[in-house]
Amino acid sequence: MNVKIKKIFTNVRVIILLVFLVLAVAAINPRPGIEGVVIRNIITNSSAAEAGIQQPPPTAKPVSRERILEIDNRPINSVADYYNYIDTLEPNQSVQIKTNKALYRLTTRQNIEIIELNETVKKTIEEIITINETINGTVVEKNKTIKRQIDVPKTKKISKGTEDIGVRVFNAPTTNIRKGLDLQGGTRVLLQPETSLLQQDLSSLIDTIEERLNVYGLSDLVIRDASDLTGNQYILVEIAGATEEEIRTLLAKQGKFEAKIANKTVFVGGKDITFVCRSADCAGIDPNAGCSSSQGQNFCRFRFSISITPEAAQKHADATKDLDVIENNGKYLSEPLELYLDDTKVRELNIGAGLKGSATTDIQISGSGTGFSQQEAVINAMGDMKRLQTILITGSLPVKLNIVKIDAISPLLGEEFLKNAMMVGLITLISVGIVIFVRYRKLQVAIPMVSISISEVIILLGIAALIGWNIDLAAVAGIIIAVGTGIDHQIIIADETLRGRGIIYDWKQRIKNAFFIIMASYFTVFVALIPLVFAGAGLLKGFAITTILGASIGVFISRPVFARVIEILLRE
Amino acid sequence: MEDNKENSQENATEKNEDRESTIENNTSEENKTNPNETKIKLPKIKLNFSGMKKIYEGQYKKLLIIPFMLLLIAILLIGLKAAATGDFINRDVSLKGGVTVTIPTEQKIDILQLEDIISKKFPKNDVSTKSLSQFGTQVGVIIDVDIGEEHREEHREEQIGILIEEIGKVLNRKLTTKDYSVEVIGSSLGASFFREVVTALLIAFLLMAIVVFLYFRTLVPSGAVILAALSDILITLSIVNLLDIKLSTAGIAAFLMLIGYSVDTNILLSTRVLKRKEGTDMERIYGALKTGITMSLTTLIAMTAALIFTQSEIIKQIMIILLIGLLVDLINTWIQNVGILRLYLERKARKAIQ
Repeated sequence: MNVKIKKIFTNVRVIILLVFLVLAVAAINPRPGIEGVVIRNIITNSSAAEAGIQQPPPTAKPVSRERILEIDNRPINSVADYYNYIDTLEPNQSVQIKTNKALYRLTTRQNIEIIELNETVKKTIEEIITINETINGTVVEKNKTIKRQIDVPKTKKISKGTEDIGVRVFNAPTTNIRKGLDLQGGTRVLLQPETSLLQQDLSSLIDTIEERLNVYGLSDLVIRDASDLTGNQYILVEIAGATEEEIRTLLAKQGKFEAKIANKTVFVGGKDITFVCRSADCAGIDPNAGCSSSQGQNFCRFRFSISITPEAAQKHADATKDLDVIENNGKYLSEPLELYLDDTKVRELNIGAGLKGSATTDIQISGSGTGFSQQEAVINAMGDMKRLQTILITGSLPVKLNIVKIDAISPLLGEEFLKNAMMVGLITLISVGIVIFVRYRKLQVAIPMVSISISEVIILLGIAALIGWNIDLAAVAGIIIAVGTGIDHQIIIADETLRGRGIIYDWKQRIKNAFFIIMASYFTVFVALIPLVFAGAGLLKGFAITTILGASIGVFISRPVFARVIEILLRE
Repeated sequence: MEDNKENSQENATEKNEDRESTIENNTSEENKTNPNETKIKLPKIKLNFSGMKKIYEGQYKKLLIIPFMLLLIAILLIGLKAAATGDFINRDVSLKGGVTVTIPTEQKIDILQLEDIISKKFPKNDVSTKSLSQFGTQVGVIIDVDIGEEHREEHREEQIGILIEEIGKVLNRKLTTKDYSVEVIGSSLGASFFREVVTALLIAFLLMAIVVFLYFRTLVPSGAVILAALSDILITLSIVNLLDIKLSTAGIAAFLMLIGYSVDTNILLSTRVLKRKEGTDMERIYGALKTGITMSLTTLIAMTAALIFTQSEIIKQIMIILLIGLLVDLINTWIQNVGILRLYLERKARKAIQ
């Protein structure tokens, strides 16, 4: 027996298989006891971003991502640990975050919320336009505002604890295998351009989408183009840990932003805008207007300033120079500045009379959010502001996109599925092992068969980890099927070699016979799955590729090993 | 089939032992000699087994009626379905457009009641509910509604909101995005997916047929393999229809896999019978049967295990279709293909004698 074992492990084919196994394990890079939580996202303008914590690139290998190990010398080993500690932070507290790469120091901010008291006060509010005028290079502020008295609920600014430090984390992955969306939760959107695009336009569209999502603060995403057999174009966007609504509003809108005066375009989002303020001093809930409520509805106004290019400013001057000045609670021009988003008028701003014919580059944009409670109104207002800012920065998409399919998978369900898929894999393997043993009554057949199947799965996962392939449910089905065909082929080898030993054919011939059948079945599986790689926007590509890859690994690497091992073990 | 298998196993091993004593005769005589052989061995084997074997070996032409009848019935059923509903399968929302909401919950939910409540809210739509189960216990619910057939996108969003709210009412709590998964597919995309995967299936079948033909290079044996694969698909499809299973994209992918699996055993059979020289035709058929049944059995058991334990609808549907398909394939390989091959060999032998 020892001689036979030695013979097995010195065989060239067996060594090749072992080398592949080692490489696969290295690619998967299992780290069972990995510490810390992995950074998924850094929110723009948050205290974490200020402290210099880097947004991880989406292509980073799971295991090599930056991990938070300790906060203020407390070990952080799970998402729960992280949030439990973050919740205890006080405003203006200095925090030390230790990651596996660096040590960051940041100071928490105060989260100020305006709450409504049970009484009303008379308040003088000012209308929104505050336009700065540039004259000979110096900025002169012209506060052309009306004052109006309204009844507003008395409000009080209170500290609502600490502002989120702006780090989104997830539990450290123990391997480099990327889990597909349906195994980890997230949102997948399939978009179809309204008109068909050239390849280069399609890729610039993808870049714009990516930029838009990144500016919004989503980085852990996959964007790729897809097509189907009839040549329809699609764009597939997969984002872990984002809500469906955010994506819908960010992507289903073309984001064509136009500012018009008397139907003449003054500036558009993207190229005419040089700067969009996103810091707290010039963007946020409007301190002059605040929030108000009427008939159970709450309104909150937001405002932020932007700068436009000198060319756009000149257009503004041209458009306003012939307008009349009218008197209406202050002096205004006869035509307002109208803001259009995707051809729908979203806002109308009065222009102060003093701005007539001036080339102004600084403009303040405002809007409002509503909600049943004040808190909801604030959240909606801030959300709208963020989306509007995103659109203004990134400009419009070259074409309108229709959302044709949207899948939002809850992270809880994803986790369940993963555990379940692993268990199913194990159960099927054990049951196959039992059947094989019952049939052959020989451990020399059953053990190599099962262990070769396991090694096929490991090599398959290793390749997936290496090329950054996502393992989703369809891929799991593919793995099960690849293992199934693998077992079938090994049964063919075993039967061909065990049958009427040595009477008619020699070993070589028997194995050749077995491979004749195996290759035929391999080719049929291969050609049967090829069309699926290209069909239906590539949504079943994972299934097809995994199965083809699994079958190929089997036929070219592990089946020859099984044949040789069987030969060594059973040949007298 | 089970009985048959055991029988053949025992028999095949016995035959292996006295291989030298058997004469190589692939002639038509074989059909008469084989039953005689069984008679000699009668004391060793139970009577009913031998009866079955006798039928299997002697009456193979009559047995051929079974798979062809099944194929005919299947084509008829599929045709009737297509005539009645305009569609030859039951498409689920992933192939016709709509919304699937999955809610993992420990709460006990009466899915029929849930379906009733939602159907009342969406009287025009097709509503179906399933329970998400593991080890036979309910661990959640899945609700399919074909919302959005002719509505605009904004309208669809509103409808989905109403749907989720309605489900929340049944569960007695407000559902947040963390509590459920929602999959929305536009109706035009659903229809185009359907066309796509069916085209993929047709291309796959064609490519498979070419590979098989290149492999055997003779009309009848390769035709038999292709016919067996076609019968597998059609009979399985009609059974799936009878069971009222709604097919998803993954389900059609399973039919693709069925092509691969069914061809496996058929190629094994044809290769063993046509390209090997040892033993009689019948012995080679039994040898192939033994290997083929082991292959099907391991796959069937693995699939049953996966079917029982998985929670995922995708995996469940792939497995159930493959399970039905492999059972159907047992008939199509070991009765239909064997019968055709034996007829073919008989004719060839007769020609050789002439």
